[in-house]
Amino acid sequence: MGDEKKEVLLKVDHLTQCFKMGKGELKAVDDVSFEVHKGEVFGLVGESGCGKTTTGRSILKIYDITGGSIYFKGQRICAGTRTYRDAIREARKELKTCTDASRQAELAKIIEDNKAEIEKARYDHKMCDKVYAKKLVQETEERYAKLIAAAKTPEEQSKLRKELAKERRIASKTRLITQIQMIFQDPIASLDPRMTVREIIAEGMIINGIRDQKYIDEKVYEILEKVGLVREHAGRYPHEFSGGQRQRIGIARSVVMRPEMIIADEPVSALDVSVQAQVINLLNDLREELDLTIMFIAHDLSVVKYFSDRIGVMYFGKMVEMTTSDELFAHPLHPYTKSLLSAIPLPDPRSEKKRTRIVYNALAEHDYSEDKPSLREIVPGHFVHCNNAEEAKYREELGL
Amino acid sequence: MANILEVKNLKVSFRTTGGTLKAVRDISFALERGKTLAIVGESGSGKSVTSRSILGILAGNAIVDGGEILYDGKDLLKISEEEMCKIRGDRISMVFQDPLSSLNPIVKIGRQITEAMLLKNKGNRRRARKAFNNTLAELRKNMIAANPSRETEITEMTKTFDKAAISALKMETAYTTAYSYADEVHETAGDIVFLLEKDQKVNMKLELKELAKKLQKVKNRFLTQGLDGELSGLVSETTELRREYVQAGRNTVSLKQKAIALLTKIGDFTGRLEAEEKPDFLSVGYHNYKHPEQSLDGMSVEQINEKTVKSMNEEYMKQFLTYAESGLKYSHDAALAKKKEVLSEMAAARKFYEGEYTKSSARSYGKKLASMVEASIDPLEVVKDSYAYTFRSSLLHAIDQYFYFVKHNPKEEARFARQTKKREALIAKGKTVDWKVVPKRVLDLDELHQEVSKTVVTIDERYTRYVAEDTNGNAAERSRELVEWFRGQASEAVYRVSKSMAKEKAIKLMKEVGIPEPRIRFNQYPFEFSGGMRQRIVIAIALAADPDILICDEPTTALDVTIQAQILELINKLKAERHLSVIFITHDLGVVANMADDIAVMYAGKIVEYGTADDVFYNPRHPYTWALLSSMPDLDTKEKLDAIPGTPPNMIYPPEGDAFAARNKYAMQIDYEEEPPQFAVSDTHWAATWLLHPDAPKVEIPKAISERIERMKRKNESAEQA
Repeated sequence: MGDEKKEVLLKVDHLTQCFKMGKGELKAVDDVSFEVHKGEVFGLVGESGCGKTTTGRSILKIYDITGGSIYFKGQRICAGTRTYRDAIREARKELKTCTDASRQAELAKIIEDNKAEIEKARYDHKMCDKVYAKKLVQETEERYAKLIAAAKTPEEQSKLRKELAKERRIASKTRLITQIQMIFQDPIASLDPRMTVREIIAEGMIINGIRDQKYIDEKVYEILEKVGLVREHAGRYPHEFSGGQRQRIGIARSVVMRPEMIIADEPVSALDVSVQAQVINLLNDLREELDLTIMFIAHDLSVVKYFSDRIGVMYFGKMVEMTTSDELFAHPLHPYTKSLLSAIPLPDPRSEKKRTRIVYNALAEHDYSEDKPSLREIVPGHFVHCNNAEEAKYREELGL
Repeated sequence: MANILEVKNLKVSFRTTGGTLKAVRDISFALERGKTLAIVGESGSGKSVTSRSILGILAGNAIVDGGEILYDGKDLLKISEEEMCKIRGDRISMVFQDPLSSLNPIVKIGRQITEAMLLKNKGNRRRARKAFNNTLAELRKNMIAANPSRETEITEMTKTFDKAAISALKMETAYTTAYSYADEVHETAGDIVFLLEKDQKVNMKLELKELAKKLQKVKNRFLTQGLDGELSGLVSETTELRREYVQAGRNTVSLKQKAIALLTKIGDFTGRLEAEEKPDFLSVGYHNYKHPEQSLDGMSVEQINEKTVKSMNEEYMKQFLTYAESGLKYSHDAALAKKKEVLSEMAAARKFYEGEYTKSSARSYGKKLASMVEASIDPLEVVKDSYAYTFRSSLLHAIDQYFYFVKHNPKEEARFARQTKKREALIAKGKTVDWKVVPKRVLDLDELHQEVSKTVVTIDERYTRYVAEDTNGNAAERSRELVEWFRGQASEAVYRVSKSMAKEKAIKLMKEVGIPEPRIRFNQYPFEFSGGMRQRIVIAIALAADPDILICDEPTTALDVTIQAQILELINKLKAERHLSVIFITHDLGVVANMADDIAVMYAGKIVEYGTADDVFYNPRHPYTWALLSSMPDLDTKEKLDAIPGTPPNMIYPPEGDAFAARNKYAMQIDYEEEPPQFAVSDTHWAATWLLHPDAPKVEIPKAISERIERMKRKNESAEQA
C-alpha cells in the first residue's frame, strides 16, 4: 500500500486507560494500538461510550494513561506503568514458590528490569516537554553561535545576542504537547464566556512566552481571516456568534500555535447540516494550507468517509478494524463494522425502505472462550480484531 | 385517509428587546392519520416553534398572530388551558431535543416513566366511564323518542348492554394481564437459556424466584383452560430448582443442564398459550348476565365462543341494532331540523356581520348564534364537525381581535411616528444612534372585519352543503360503528393499571427502546445515564401515554449512527403498531428518507417546498432544498462540498421578497422585490420559488445532486433486477 514510506507522526502503542469507579475500575480504552502518518486524516468511529474521545484526550495528556505508551515525532510523550507492575507482581508470586536457583535469578532480573522501565516511563511522562525544550534551546544556540561568529561589527553581534535571548526564552518555554491541538465537540461549552475572541485565541501564545502585543494581534487577525471571520470579530464575546462561527473560533484557537497535528473531537456533530459543510470545507482548506495531520473523531460515517484517508473502528474500548476508508467501505470484515455501515441513513427513500440493519451482538457473534483474539493484519494495511478461526474466515471472504 | 391534525395559516412572533421577531410566517400543512410528516430546515427556521405551538408550550413572550390548529374538532389555539392539559402529553406527546433538560434530575427514571401512565389511566377511566354513560343515556333517550311505545323494553336492553360490556371487559382485563405475563415469561426464559448456553454469569436464584412468581400470575380461566395442572407443575419445578441452587451455593454443570431443560419447557408452554384462540368477551359477558344458570365451566374456548356468540346475536344484537338504528335516525333528523333552523337565521346573520356593529351587540348576537349552532350538533355522532364545535370561540375571538385593533392601531401609528421623529432628530444633530425603530404592528381593519363575517359564512356554506348532500344518516352502518365505539370506551373504563403493572410496562418499554438491564436501570437517576440512554428514556416516556400524535424534535441529533438507526426503526415500528402519526423535525435530510411520507422544507418561518418523500428527494425544485441536499456528503462524494454561504436572516427585520435570496446562487431581481407564491409541480408537490414561473430562465439542478439522483436510481434498478 506504500504506507511504509510515510513518516509516522503519532504512534499509539497498547494504550490502556482505566477510570476508578467506586470499588472497581472501568476500562475505557483497552489495549489500542495505531499509527498516524504525517499529512493524513485518521478517522476514529464507534458508538458513544466506546472510548473514542478518551483516546483523543489521553493523547493530549488530559488524563494520565494507565498502560502502554504514546510516541509523538519519535519522542515518548505518555507512558503508563500498569503492564510493568503486573509483570513484577507475577514474578514475585512465582518467586515465593520457586526453588530453582537459576529461575530465581531470572525472576529477580525481570523485577529489576521492570522497575527500571517504570522509572523510565515516569521520567518520560513527566519530562518529555523539558527534554524537547532542551533540544530546541540547544539547536537555537548552535544556530546563533554560527551567526554571531560570522557577524562582523560589534553592533551586529549585540543585536544578534538580543535576538538569541528572545528566541531562547521562547524555545525554553516551548512544549512538545503544543504541537498537538484539540477541537472540541461543543462550541458553546469550550469557549470561556468572559473572554473576548482575541483573548481566547491569543491565550496559547501568551502561555508560550510571546509578549509582543503587536505580533500577537497580527497573528490573531491573520488566523481569524483564515477561518472565515473578520478582524472586527476579535473584540466580541463568544455569545455574540452563531454556532458555526463559534466552531470557527475553536478552530482558530487550535491552529494559531501552528500545530502539526489536530485532534478534532466531533467538531461538526453539534452543527446544522449547512454549517457542517462550511466547517468541513474549512478544515479541508486548512489542512492543505498548513500541512496538518488530523485525527478526526466522529460518529457520522458519511462525513468520516468523505474526510478521512484511514479509518479505525472502535467497539467497547477495543479497536476492531482499521484500514483505508475506501477499503473499509468496500470490504468490511468485522461484524460490528458491517452493522455500523448498514445503519447509515442515505437521502434515498426507495432504497432506505428496503434497507435492513444488521444487528451486532458481541456475545452471539464471537466465541473467544479458548482462542484469544488480537488485532491482526489480514491484507497489508487492513487490520481486524479476530482469532485464528475468524482470521481464516475473513481471508476466505476476501478471496485469498 | 382523514387528517388527524391540520395547521392553517399559522403565524407566530416573539416580543424581544430588539423588536418583534417573526418566527413563523403563515404556514399550513395537514397530517394524515398513521403518516409521518418531516419538517426540515436550519436552526432558527421556525421548526421547533411550530411544534411547540401545537402543544401550546410557547415561551412567555410569544404571540400567536393568527391561524388555527385543528385537532379532533378543536382549535388548539383557542381552547382553554384545562382542555389543553387533557391533550398535551396524552394525545399529542413530544420527544425533546435536549434529553438532559427534559428529565427531572431528582426523580428516579422509573418513577418518571410510570408517572404519566398511572395518572393517564386514572383520568381515562373516569372520562371513558362518563362518555360511555352519557352516550348510552343519549341513545336511550333517542331510541325511546323514536319508539315511544317500547320504553320498558328499551330501558331493559340498554341496561343489559351496559352490564354485559362492563363484565366482559373485567374478564378481558384479567385475560390480557395474564397474557402479558405469559409473553414476558416466554421472553425471559429464552434470554436466560441464551445466556446460560453462552456461559455468561446469571443470578439464577433471583431469576428463578421472579420466574416462579410470574408463572403463577399466568393462571387465567380462559388462557390456561385445562392446563392448570401443567402450570402448577412447572411452578413447583421452578421453586424446587431454586432450592437446589440455594443448597449447592454455586453453579454446577448438572444444575445448569437442568435449568436449561426446565426453561426450554417453560418457553414451549408459554409459546403454546400465546397461540391459543381468544374468546369473544362481549358475548361471554352477555351470557353470564342473561343466563347465569348455564355454567361455561369445562368448555374449551372454541365451544364457549360458538355458544355465546350465537345466543347473543340471536337473542339480543339484532334487535338492539334495529333500535339503535331508529334512535340514530331520530337524533339525526332532529339535528337536521335544527341545522335548517340555523340556515334560516344565516341570511340575517351574514347581513349583520357584514355591516356596522358595536362590540356588545356583536358579541350578544354571536352568543345567540353559537348556542343555536351548538344545539344543531348531533350528539350521537362519533366524529363531530370541527367547525360547528369551534364556532363559538372562533367567532368571539375574531370580534375581540377586530375591536382590539380598532383601538390599538392609532396608538401604534402614533408611537411609530414619535420614535421615528426622535431618531431622525438625533441623526440630524449628528449623533450616532445605536437603536432602530421597532416596526409598527398594525393590522388591516377591513381584513379583520372580513374575518368575522368569514366565520359565519363558513358555517353557512358547510351547513348548506350538508343539508343538500344529506345521506339520511346512513343509520345501519353508523349503528354498528357506535357499538364498536361503546366497546372501546368500555374497555378504557375498566382497564386499571396498578403500580406493579406500570412497572412491568415501563421495563418492557425500556427494553423496547434498547436499554440493557432495565430492571436495574429502573431505579437509577438521570445522571447515571449516558446521552444516548437519556434520549431513549425520553422517547420511552413520550410513548408511555400511548399518544395519537408523536412530535419528535430532533430526537437523534445527539446520537451516533447505530443508536440513531435503532431509534428510527423503533419509531417506525411503533408507528405501524399503534397507528401513530408522527411529526419529525430535523435538519438532516438523510435521516428522514425512510421515515417520512411527506416532507416540508422550512426556511425563515415559511414552508418553501412541500411534497412526498419521493418528490423532494428525486425531484427537488427549490434552491434551498438543493443546497441542503448538496451540503451533506454521502458515501460516494469526493468533490468539495457545496456549503450554503452566510447565515439565515434576522427575522426582526425580515427581508423584502424571498428570504433566501441573499444566500441563493440563482437569485433573480424579482427575488429581492416580491415574495414567490407556491408553484405546483405535481398534485402532491409544490415549491415557493420564482424559478418555477413560466417566464423564469431555465435553471438546471446542480450537478452534484443530479448525479447523485442518477446514481441512486441506477442502484435501485439494479437492485430490483437482482
